[in-house]
Amino acid sequence: MTTHTPESAENRIDPSFHHPALFYTTEEDYLRGVGAFVRTEAAGGHPVLVAVPGPRLQLLREAVGTGDEDVTFVDMRQAGRNPGRILSMLQSFADRYPDRRPSIVGEPIWVGRTAAEVREATRHEALINLAFDGRPVTILCPYDTALPERVLAEAHRTHPVVGAPDGYAHSPRYADPHTVCRDCDRPLEEPADPLVLHFTEQDLAEVRDTAGHWAQKAGLSSNRHTDWLLAVNEATGNSVRHGGGQGTLRLWRTADTLIAEVRDRGRLTDALVGRRRPDPLSPFGGRGVWMMHQLCDLVEMRTPPSGLIVRMHLALD
Amino acid sequence: MRDGSGSVGGDAADRHVAVEYSTDDEWAAHLVRFVRAGFDKGEQVQYFADATDPRLVTRTLAGRGVDADSAVRRGQLVVTTADETYLTGSRFDPDAMIGLWRRAVENAAGQGYGNLRVIGEMSWGTRHMTGAERLLEYELRIHHEVFEQLPLTAWCFYDRRLMASEALDVLADAHLTRKGAAPRSHDRGGLSVAPLAGRPGFRLSGSAGYESRRVVAAASAALAASTAEDVTLDLSCLDHLDVAAFTDIAHAARRRASGTPLRLVGAPPALNRMMELFPELGAGLQGAGQ
Repeated sequence: MTTHTPESAENRIDPSFHHPALFYTTEEDYLRGVGAFVRTEAAGGHPVLVAVPGPRLQLLREAVGTGDEDVTFVDMRQAGRNPGRILSMLQSFADRYPDRRPSIVGEPIWVGRTAAEVREATRHEALINLAFDGRPVTILCPYDTALPERVLAEAHRTHPVVGAPDGYAHSPRYADPHTVCRDCDRPLEEPADPLVLHFTEQDLAEVRDTAGHWAQKAGLSSNRHTDWLLAVNEATGNSVRHGGGQGTLRLWRTADTLIAEVRDRGRLTDALVGRRRPDPLSPFGGRGVWMMHQLCDLVEMRTPPSGLIVRMHLALD
Repeated sequence: MRDGSGSVGGDAADRHVAVEYSTDDEWAAHLVRFVRAGFDKGEQVQYFADATDPRLVTRTLAGRGVDADSAVRRGQLVVTTADETYLTGSRFDPDAMIGLWRRAVENAAGQGYGNLRVIGEMSWGTRHMTGAERLLEYELRIHHEVFEQLPLTAWCFYDRRLMASEALDVLADAHLTRKGAAPRSHDRGGLSVAPLAGRPGFRLSGSAGYESRRVVAAASAALAASTAEDVTLDLSCLDHLDVAAFTDIAHAARRRASGTPLRLVGAPPALNRMMELFPELGAGLQGAGQ
């Protein structure tokens, strides 16, 4: 078995991509594994992004210190609340330092994530391997061993290298990212009694109005109302443009979430669609899915033989 | 120097009028009223027909007591067709049209007419003709670029029998004065755009999404073409706009010849939210993201 340590400071710039998973149990583990990584990378002149859940963030800040301007701390509970927007954040960070081999700590799954969030976060972990393939970047992903066994098992499939503070090894269970994504495509649970709206191009304005009024009545806060409208607008507009000229919008609420789902005859050919911040002025578009990820708390996309399903969640908090 | 307030021959808003009709009688009544008022003021009157036989224009006037024949002989009334005049190139070009109006007013003045009155049948605007998609841009631009600058009165004749109601409504909304408009049974939930009265700029009203992209494109083209230093885009009557609409507007602001920022008024929450996601769209805009 080969052992690895994450990129060391003294080495020449390593041109390859590293994506290890670090399993930790205690705070001490965390500091030995993650804290040491951040300190070493920063000391080696590499810009570091630390995107971990709030309580861990605090731990690392205290251990690493905040004086180093090349370490950026982000609370993953906010920035990565929707797992579908994390990859864009990581790519934007790495894009800023093409010559300095940036390092990232990304902890997208924590105890308390819902099953649907974990599935999308697992998909995100798999997509990291596609998005960063061949780029000089290290992304260390800490996993709390208190997470369910099946979640930890997926980490072995999404990380080419796995380990603990004492060392890393190749993951024999590492799987092709596309395979992992397909495995994440679990059938979506059917809602009990959704509002159903069929639409074509001429109905789009009315559909926006209806979805807006429905969300207001369902209790969506005014500061999320705009997010809701923009997301519904992009999803329904995509159906008309790319999904066969028409679609079906279904709206329903759960105890704490509003859900808008759009079904059409579209296809999704690029697993990485919406995972990189687009140039809004580009004539080639590509803004819709990225915006949905930024605006929503969770986005689930499925591609059954009938076409495309986009399910967008906004929390009622 | 024209001051943009529309003082040339009266308020510009009253001199560029959308006239809607759906019967021959309504058409005739508008025609007679317009021509008679022009003759009473000693103005030259020109009629640009599209769907109507030009001979029917003079016959109708004569039949309703207007001495059209002698007016034609002395050059005070000119009845022709759009095809023979401004559409001769088989394409419609707003920039060329605006130049034509300047020359037409100069010609009328050369013949001793201080004010020119024009009726144009607009039914060609929904035919498949190169440039016809720029008709809305043209209707928007001429308020500031023609009617605030020139002693011209124009009634744009929109025949409801020949145009889809939604297309007609959007075009008619681009006029600050409408005559013969059918009452709208309900808010059609679409997007409309009109020039601002008294200052260079436009107002978008309603909801802007993929379905209304042509309206936004026309408004953006009109914004980009405006040579005024300070141009305002009033969004206070806009419920919603999407990123494609915002991007069109941002592109237009960057293309403006004056290089001065486009002033946004009353930006809806959606615009400010998109500014958070795409701050670069704010370049060339003033009043966004606040």
